[in-house]
Amino acid sequence: MRRYEVFLKKDGRDEFRHAGSLDAPDDELALVLARESYARRAEGDRLWLVDRENVILGDLEFIASNSDKPHRHNDGKAIAEHRRNTREGGA
Amino acid sequence: MTGLGSSVREFLLAFADDEHLMGQQHTEWIGVAPFLEEDLAFSSIAQDELGHAAALYAIVAGDGDPVDNDLRIDELAFRPSPDDWRCAQLVEVASDDWAHALVRHWLYDSAEQLRWEQVAQSSLIPLAEAAARAEREERYHRRHADGLLDVLLPAADSAERLQAALADLLPLAIGIFDPVAGEAEVVATGVASAPFDTRLDEWKDRVRHRFDFDPDRIEPMAPTGRLVRHPDFGPLLVRMREVIDLDPAAVW
Repeated sequence: MRRYEVFLKKDGRDEFRHAGSLDAPDDELALVLARESYARRAEGDRLWLVDRENVILGDLEFIASNSDKPHRHNDGKAIAEHRRNTREGGA
Repeated sequence: MTGLGSSVREFLLAFADDEHLMGQQHTEWIGVAPFLEEDLAFSSIAQDELGHAAALYAIVAGDGDPVDNDLRIDELAFRPSPDDWRCAQLVEVASDDWAHALVRHWLYDSAEQLRWEQVAQSSLIPLAEAAARAEREERYHRRHADGLLDVLLPAADSAERLQAALADLLPLAIGIFDPVAGEAEVVATGVASAPFDTRLDEWKDRVRHRFDFDPDRIEPMAPTGRLVRHPDFGPLLVRMREVIDLDPAAVW
Protein backbone atom coordinates (compact mmCIF):
# COMPACT_ATOMS: atom_id res chain seq x y z
CA MET A 1 0.00 0.00 0.00
CA ARG A 2 1.08 3.55 -0.70
CA ARG A 3 -0.11 6.61 1.17
CA TYR A 4 -1.57 9.54 -0.75
CA GLU A 5 -2.44 13.07 0.28
CA VAL A 6 -5.76 14.32 -1.13
CA PHE A 7 -6.45 17.94 -2.16
CA LEU A 8 -9.81 19.21 -3.34
CA LYS A 9 -11.33 22.39 -4.66
CA LYS A 10 -14.60 23.44 -6.20
CA ASP A 11 -14.55 24.77 -9.72
CA GLY A 12 -13.99 28.53 -9.72
CA ARG A 13 -14.02 28.82 -5.96
CA ASP A 14 -11.29 28.95 -3.37
CA GLU A 15 -7.95 27.23 -3.67
CA PHE A 16 -7.01 23.60 -3.32
CA ARG A 17 -7.29 22.48 0.28
CA HIS A 18 -5.90 19.43 1.99
CA ALA A 19 -8.84 17.03 2.50
CA GLY A 20 -7.02 14.11 4.12
CA SER A 21 -5.02 11.08 3.17
CA LEU A 22 -5.69 7.56 2.04
CA ASP A 23 -4.04 4.20 1.46
CA ALA A 24 -4.16 2.60 -1.98
CA PRO A 25 -2.00 0.10 -3.87
CA ASP A 26 -1.43 2.32 -6.94
CA ASP A 27 -2.30 5.66 -8.55
CA GLU A 28 -5.38 4.41 -10.40
CA LEU A 29 -6.98 2.90 -7.30
CA ALA A 30 -6.00 5.95 -5.29
CA LEU A 31 -8.08 8.06 -7.69
CA VAL A 32 -11.00 5.64 -7.55
CA LEU A 33 -10.93 5.43 -3.76
CA ALA A 34 -10.33 9.16 -3.21
CA ARG A 35 -13.57 9.91 -4.99
CA GLU A 36 -15.61 7.88 -2.53
CA SER A 37 -13.54 8.72 0.54
CA TYR A 38 -13.46 12.51 0.08
CA ALA A 39 -15.75 13.71 -2.71
CA ARG A 40 -18.93 11.66 -2.32
CA ARG A 41 -20.88 14.62 -0.99
CA ALA A 42 -19.69 16.98 -3.73
CA GLU A 43 -16.99 18.49 -1.51
CA GLY A 44 -15.11 19.39 -4.68
CA ASP A 45 -14.82 18.55 -8.33
CA ARG A 46 -11.11 19.20 -8.80
CA LEU A 47 -8.74 16.70 -7.24
CA TRP A 48 -5.02 16.52 -6.67
CA LEU A 49 -3.49 13.34 -5.35
CA VAL A 50 0.08 13.34 -4.14
CA ASP A 51 2.02 10.22 -3.29
CA ARG A 52 3.44 11.06 0.12
CA GLU A 53 6.88 9.89 -1.02
CA ASN A 54 6.88 12.82 -3.43
CA VAL A 55 6.20 15.40 -0.75
CA ILE A 56 9.32 17.43 0.08
CA LEU A 57 9.45 18.01 3.80
CA GLY A 58 10.68 21.25 5.30
CA ASP A 59 12.95 20.79 8.30
CA LEU A 60 11.43 22.39 11.41
CA GLU A 61 14.68 24.07 12.53
CA PHE A 62 15.31 25.46 9.08
CA ILE A 63 11.81 26.80 8.36
CA ALA A 64 11.01 28.26 11.80
CA SER A 65 14.20 30.37 12.02
CA ASN A 66 12.88 33.96 11.95
CA SER A 67 11.12 34.31 15.28
CA ASP A 68 13.80 36.87 16.31
CA LYS A 69 13.00 39.27 13.47
CA PRO A 70 10.06 41.40 14.65
CA HIS A 71 10.64 43.93 11.83
CA ARG A 72 9.34 41.29 9.41
CA HIS A 73 6.04 41.28 11.26
CA ASN A 74 5.32 44.99 10.68
CA ASP A 75 1.55 45.55 10.59
CA GLY A 76 1.90 49.31 9.95
CA LYS A 77 0.80 50.43 13.43
CA ALA A 78 4.14 52.06 14.37
CA ILE A 79 4.32 53.99 11.12
CA ALA A 80 0.68 55.10 11.38
CA GLU A 81 1.37 56.31 14.92
CA HIS A 82 4.51 58.19 13.80
CA ARG A 83 2.67 59.91 10.93
CA ARG A 84 -0.26 60.88 13.15
CA ASN A 85 2.11 62.47 15.68
CA THR A 86 3.97 64.33 12.94
CA ARG A 87 0.71 65.59 11.44
CA GLU A 88 -0.73 66.77 14.75
CA GLY A 89 2.61 68.28 15.92
CA GLY A 90 3.03 70.18 12.63
CA ALA A 91 -0.51 71.68 12.59
CA MET B 1 -48.02 5.43 -21.26
CA THR B 2 -50.93 3.03 -21.47
CA GLY B 3 -49.64 0.46 -19.01
CA LEU B 4 -46.99 -2.22 -19.17
CA GLY B 5 -47.82 -5.60 -20.66
CA SER B 6 -47.00 -8.63 -18.55
CA SER B 7 -43.89 -9.39 -20.65
CA VAL B 8 -42.42 -5.93 -20.12
CA ARG B 9 -43.29 -6.17 -16.44
CA GLU B 10 -41.44 -9.48 -16.11
CA PHE B 11 -38.49 -8.07 -18.05
CA LEU B 12 -38.21 -5.02 -15.77
CA LEU B 13 -38.71 -7.10 -12.65
CA ALA B 14 -35.86 -9.45 -13.64
CA PHE B 15 -33.52 -6.49 -14.15
CA ALA B 16 -34.68 -4.84 -10.90
CA ASP B 17 -34.30 -8.04 -8.89
CA ASP B 18 -30.76 -8.55 -10.17
CA GLU B 19 -29.83 -4.97 -9.26
CA HIS B 20 -31.51 -5.25 -5.88
CA LEU B 21 -29.78 -8.47 -4.87
CA MET B 22 -26.41 -7.38 -6.24
CA GLY B 23 -26.68 -4.27 -4.09
CA GLN B 24 -27.83 -6.30 -1.10
CA GLN B 25 -24.94 -8.76 -1.46
CA HIS B 26 -22.42 -5.90 -1.63
CA THR B 27 -23.88 -4.32 1.50
CA GLU B 28 -22.98 -7.44 3.45
CA TRP B 29 -19.32 -6.31 3.14
CA ILE B 30 -19.95 -3.04 4.96
CA GLY B 31 -17.50 -2.85 7.84
CA VAL B 32 -15.60 -5.99 6.84
CA ALA B 33 -14.11 -5.12 3.44
CA PRO B 34 -10.30 -5.55 3.37
CA PHE B 35 -9.44 -1.91 4.15
CA LEU B 36 -11.27 1.29 5.08
CA GLU B 37 -11.11 3.06 1.71
CA GLU B 38 -12.36 -0.07 -0.05
CA ASP B 39 -15.15 -0.42 2.49
CA LEU B 40 -16.41 3.07 1.59
CA ALA B 41 -16.10 2.51 -2.15
CA PHE B 42 -17.81 -0.86 -2.13
CA SER B 43 -20.64 0.44 0.09
CA SER B 44 -21.18 3.27 -2.39
CA ILE B 45 -21.37 0.82 -5.26
CA ALA B 46 -23.92 -1.21 -3.28
CA GLN B 47 -25.96 1.95 -2.78
CA ASP B 48 -25.83 2.72 -6.52
CA GLU B 49 -27.11 -0.76 -7.40
CA LEU B 50 -29.94 -0.42 -4.90
CA GLY B 51 -30.75 2.94 -6.48
CA HIS B 52 -30.95 1.33 -9.93
CA ALA B 53 -33.26 -1.33 -8.50
CA ALA B 54 -35.48 1.32 -6.92
CA ALA B 55 -35.69 3.21 -10.23
CA LEU B 56 -36.76 0.03 -12.06
CA TYR B 57 -39.24 -1.02 -9.36
CA ALA B 58 -40.71 2.50 -9.49
CA ILE B 59 -41.44 2.07 -13.19
CA VAL B 60 -43.10 -1.31 -12.56
CA ALA B 61 -45.06 -0.03 -9.54
CA GLY B 62 -46.38 2.90 -11.57
CA ASP B 63 -47.21 0.67 -14.55
CA GLY B 64 -44.84 2.61 -16.80
CA ASP B 65 -45.12 5.99 -15.09
CA PRO B 66 -42.57 5.92 -12.22
CA VAL B 67 -44.09 6.31 -8.75
CA ASP B 68 -42.40 8.22 -5.95
CA ASN B 69 -43.84 6.05 -3.23
CA ASP B 70 -41.54 3.95 -1.03
CA LEU B 71 -44.31 1.66 0.18
CA ARG B 72 -45.27 0.63 -3.34
CA ILE B 73 -41.60 0.14 -4.24
CA ASP B 74 -41.07 -1.92 -1.06
CA GLU B 75 -44.02 -4.13 -1.97
CA LEU B 76 -42.14 -5.16 -5.10
CA ALA B 77 -38.67 -5.15 -3.57
CA PHE B 78 -39.47 -7.43 -0.64
CA ARG B 79 -41.91 -9.96 -2.09
CA PRO B 80 -42.31 -12.75 0.47
CA SER B 81 -42.57 -15.68 -1.96
CA PRO B 82 -39.29 -16.80 -3.60
CA ASP B 83 -41.31 -18.05 -6.58
CA ASP B 84 -42.23 -14.46 -7.44
CA TRP B 85 -38.62 -13.36 -7.84
CA ARG B 86 -36.95 -13.18 -11.26
CA CYS B 87 -33.29 -12.77 -10.31
CA ALA B 88 -30.32 -14.67 -11.74
CA GLN B 89 -28.53 -17.14 -9.47
CA LEU B 90 -25.29 -15.14 -9.74
CA VAL B 91 -26.77 -12.53 -7.41
CA GLU B 92 -28.43 -15.09 -5.12
CA VAL B 93 -25.35 -17.12 -4.23
CA ALA B 94 -23.66 -16.27 -0.92
CA SER B 95 -20.13 -14.84 -1.05
CA ASP B 96 -18.13 -15.10 2.16
CA ASP B 97 -14.78 -14.62 0.49
CA TRP B 98 -13.50 -11.26 -0.75
CA ALA B 99 -12.00 -12.67 -3.96
CA HIS B 100 -15.38 -14.23 -4.71
CA ALA B 101 -17.22 -10.95 -4.05
CA LEU B 102 -14.76 -9.01 -6.23
CA VAL B 103 -15.00 -11.41 -9.17
CA ARG B 104 -18.79 -11.33 -8.93
CA HIS B 105 -18.68 -7.51 -8.86
CA TRP B 106 -16.64 -7.53 -12.09
CA LEU B 107 -18.74 -10.22 -13.81
CA TYR B 108 -21.99 -8.53 -12.89
CA ASP B 109 -20.97 -4.98 -13.80
CA SER B 110 -19.41 -5.96 -17.12
CA ALA B 111 -22.74 -7.56 -18.07
CA GLU B 112 -24.75 -4.73 -16.54
CA GLN B 113 -23.13 -2.23 -18.90
CA LEU B 114 -24.35 -4.25 -21.90
CA ARG B 115 -27.77 -4.64 -20.33
CA TRP B 116 -28.31 -0.89 -19.90
CA GLU B 117 -27.11 -0.40 -23.48
CA GLN B 118 -29.98 -2.66 -24.62
CA VAL B 119 -32.50 -0.19 -23.17
CA ALA B 120 -30.62 3.11 -23.70
CA GLN B 121 -32.92 3.93 -26.65
CA SER B 122 -35.98 2.29 -25.10
CA SER B 123 -39.48 3.20 -26.24
CA LEU B 124 -40.25 3.25 -22.51
CA ILE B 125 -38.89 6.73 -21.80
CA PRO B 126 -38.35 6.41 -18.01
CA LEU B 127 -36.30 3.28 -18.71
CA ALA B 128 -34.09 5.10 -21.21
CA GLU B 129 -33.63 7.88 -18.65
CA ALA B 130 -32.70 5.36 -15.94
CA ALA B 131 -30.15 3.85 -18.35
CA ALA B 132 -28.46 7.21 -18.87
CA ARG B 133 -28.26 7.85 -15.11
CA ALA B 134 -27.01 4.34 -14.38
CA GLU B 135 -24.22 4.47 -16.94
CA ARG B 136 -22.71 7.52 -15.26
CA GLU B 137 -22.35 5.45 -12.08
CA GLU B 138 -21.39 2.23 -13.81
CA ARG B 139 -18.31 3.86 -15.32
CA TYR B 140 -17.06 4.23 -11.76
CA HIS B 141 -18.00 0.66 -10.82
CA ARG B 142 -16.05 -0.78 -13.72
CA ARG B 143 -13.02 1.35 -12.99
CA HIS B 144 -13.14 0.20 -9.38
CA ALA B 145 -13.39 -3.51 -10.25
CA ASP B 146 -10.75 -3.29 -12.98
CA GLY B 147 -8.43 -1.24 -10.78
CA LEU B 148 -8.45 -3.94 -8.11
CA LEU B 149 -8.06 -6.79 -10.60
CA ASP B 150 -5.16 -4.97 -12.31
CA VAL B 151 -3.31 -5.05 -9.00
CA LEU B 152 -4.40 -8.47 -7.75
CA LEU B 153 -4.30 -10.69 -10.87
CA PRO B 154 -0.53 -10.36 -11.43
CA ALA B 155 0.16 -11.58 -7.86
CA ALA B 156 0.32 -15.38 -7.67
CA ASP B 157 -1.50 -15.81 -4.36
CA SER B 158 -4.43 -13.53 -5.15
CA ALA B 159 -4.61 -14.70 -8.79
CA GLU B 160 -5.13 -18.27 -7.59
CA ARG B 161 -8.04 -17.23 -5.37
CA LEU B 162 -9.58 -15.03 -8.06
CA GLN B 163 -9.36 -17.77 -10.69
CA ALA B 164 -10.98 -20.26 -8.30
CA ALA B 165 -13.80 -17.78 -7.70
CA LEU B 166 -14.16 -17.26 -11.45
CA ALA B 167 -14.49 -21.01 -12.11
CA ASP B 168 -17.11 -21.17 -9.36
CA LEU B 169 -19.12 -18.16 -10.53
CA LEU B 170 -19.01 -18.42 -14.34
CA PRO B 171 -21.79 -21.02 -14.76
CA LEU B 172 -24.09 -18.78 -12.71
CA ALA B 173 -22.88 -15.56 -14.35
CA ILE B 174 -23.86 -16.79 -17.81
CA GLY B 175 -27.36 -17.09 -16.31
CA ILE B 176 -27.63 -13.27 -16.27
CA PHE B 177 -28.26 -13.60 -20.01
CA ASP B 178 -31.09 -16.09 -19.34
CA PRO B 179 -34.25 -14.24 -20.49
CA VAL B 180 -37.65 -14.16 -18.85
CA ALA B 181 -40.57 -15.53 -20.86
CA GLY B 182 -41.88 -12.91 -23.27
CA GLU B 183 -38.57 -11.20 -24.07
CA ALA B 184 -39.47 -11.34 -27.80
CA GLU B 185 -42.43 -9.07 -27.12
CA VAL B 186 -40.21 -6.70 -25.12
CA VAL B 187 -37.98 -6.38 -28.18
CA ALA B 188 -40.92 -6.14 -30.61
CA THR B 189 -42.34 -3.15 -28.71
CA GLY B 190 -38.96 -1.41 -28.68
CA VAL B 191 -38.57 -1.53 -24.90
CA ALA B 192 -35.25 -3.33 -25.49
CA SER B 193 -33.26 -3.13 -28.72
CA ALA B 194 -32.51 -6.88 -29.00
CA PRO B 195 -32.60 -10.06 -26.89
CA PHE B 196 -29.95 -9.76 -24.17
CA ASP B 197 -28.23 -13.03 -25.12
CA THR B 198 -27.19 -11.43 -28.42
CA ARG B 199 -24.50 -9.75 -26.27
CA LEU B 200 -23.30 -12.97 -24.63
CA ASP B 201 -20.34 -13.54 -26.99
CA GLU B 202 -19.15 -9.98 -26.49
CA TRP B 203 -19.31 -10.45 -22.73
CA LYS B 204 -17.40 -13.75 -22.95
CA ASP B 205 -14.67 -11.92 -24.88
CA ARG B 206 -14.41 -9.45 -22.04
CA VAL B 207 -14.06 -12.32 -19.55
CA ARG B 208 -11.39 -13.96 -21.74
CA HIS B 209 -9.44 -10.75 -22.01
CA ARG B 210 -9.75 -9.86 -18.32
CA PHE B 211 -8.97 -13.22 -16.73
CA ASP B 212 -7.02 -14.94 -19.51
CA PHE B 213 -9.49 -17.80 -19.17
CA ASP B 214 -11.85 -19.16 -21.83
CA PRO B 215 -15.42 -19.11 -20.44
CA ASP B 216 -16.40 -21.75 -23.00
CA ARG B 217 -14.40 -24.25 -20.94
CA ILE B 218 -17.12 -23.95 -18.29
CA GLU B 219 -20.41 -25.76 -18.56
CA PRO B 220 -23.11 -23.10 -18.03
CA MET B 221 -26.09 -23.89 -15.83
CA ALA B 222 -29.19 -24.95 -17.77
CA PRO B 223 -31.49 -21.98 -18.53
CA THR B 224 -34.47 -21.82 -16.17
CA GLY B 225 -36.22 -18.69 -17.41
CA ARG B 226 -35.21 -17.23 -14.02
CA LEU B 227 -37.77 -19.40 -12.25
CA VAL B 228 -35.43 -21.55 -10.11
CA ARG B 229 -33.86 -20.04 -6.98
CA HIS B 230 -30.38 -20.88 -5.70
CA PRO B 231 -30.30 -22.66 -2.29
CA ASP B 232 -28.69 -19.51 -0.78
CA PHE B 233 -31.70 -17.39 -1.77
CA GLY B 234 -33.95 -18.51 1.10
CA PRO B 235 -31.66 -17.37 3.94
CA LEU B 236 -30.88 -14.16 2.03
CA LEU B 237 -34.58 -13.30 1.74
CA VAL B 238 -35.05 -13.95 5.46
CA ARG B 239 -32.20 -11.52 6.25
CA MET B 240 -33.64 -8.92 3.89
CA ARG B 241 -37.14 -9.24 5.35
CA GLU B 242 -35.96 -9.32 8.94
CA VAL B 243 -37.21 -5.82 9.75
CA ILE B 244 -40.27 -5.68 7.51
CA ASP B 245 -41.47 -8.99 9.02
CA LEU B 246 -41.42 -7.50 12.53
CA ASP B 247 -44.44 -5.42 11.60
CA PRO B 248 -45.57 -5.66 7.97
CA ALA B 249 -48.16 -2.90 8.48
CA ALA B 250 -45.71 -0.35 9.92
CA VAL B 251 -45.40 2.97 8.12
CA TRP B 252 -41.78 4.26 8.01
